[in-house]
Amino acid sequence: MKKYETLLLFSPDLSSEERKEIVEQLTNVVKEYSGEVTAVDEWGMKELAYPVKKSTRGYYIRLEYGSPGTAVHEIERVIRISESVLKFISVKVEETFESTQEA
Amino acid sequence: MAFKFTPRKKFCRFCADKELPLDYKRPDILQDFVTERGKIIARRITGTCAKHQRRLTREIKKSRQMALMYYTAVHSTQVRKKTI
Repeated sequence: MKKYETLLLFSPDLSSEERKEIVEQLTNVVKEYSGEVTAVDEWGMKELAYPVKKSTRGYYIRLEYGSPGTAVHEIERVIRISESVLKFISVKVEETFESTQEA
Repeated sequence: MAFKFTPRKKFCRFCADKELPLDYKRPDILQDFVTERGKIIARRITGTCAKHQRRLTREIKKSRQMALMYYTAVHSTQVRKKTI
């Protein structure tokens, strides 16, 4: 288990429900791989440095989770299916991850 | 009297301040290390140490990927024109 984060850039004409749906879908994927989402960080609507698919603004959401590496593959596959995610990046944050739920 | 020009000693900002995050999510800091056209500034000019310069370029490139920083200034002016 390692700690990862994925930064997602959503299309600006997406409603908050649709965004939530995708985020939920991704948290389910993490859970399927016996991982755990530790943080969902919404940066909000931001001006982009350059136009992406002709839109000049975008909504950023950062997901932080601990999971095995295979989950990252699955998450990226799910992201690629939805066309409303303009850009995404997955980065390993820490080499080790210990679940906070177990006690 | 001969006046000799002695340039100010450069130092690595990331070594001097351990708290300063070197992260693709902080384009505000990374912006200091690129020109106004978006090119990464050489280590011999900024004074960043080799280790941090390597990480810096990686983080800048990640930041560009996520449209947090621009690749070239031409595109960024297009954005500005549209939003005005």
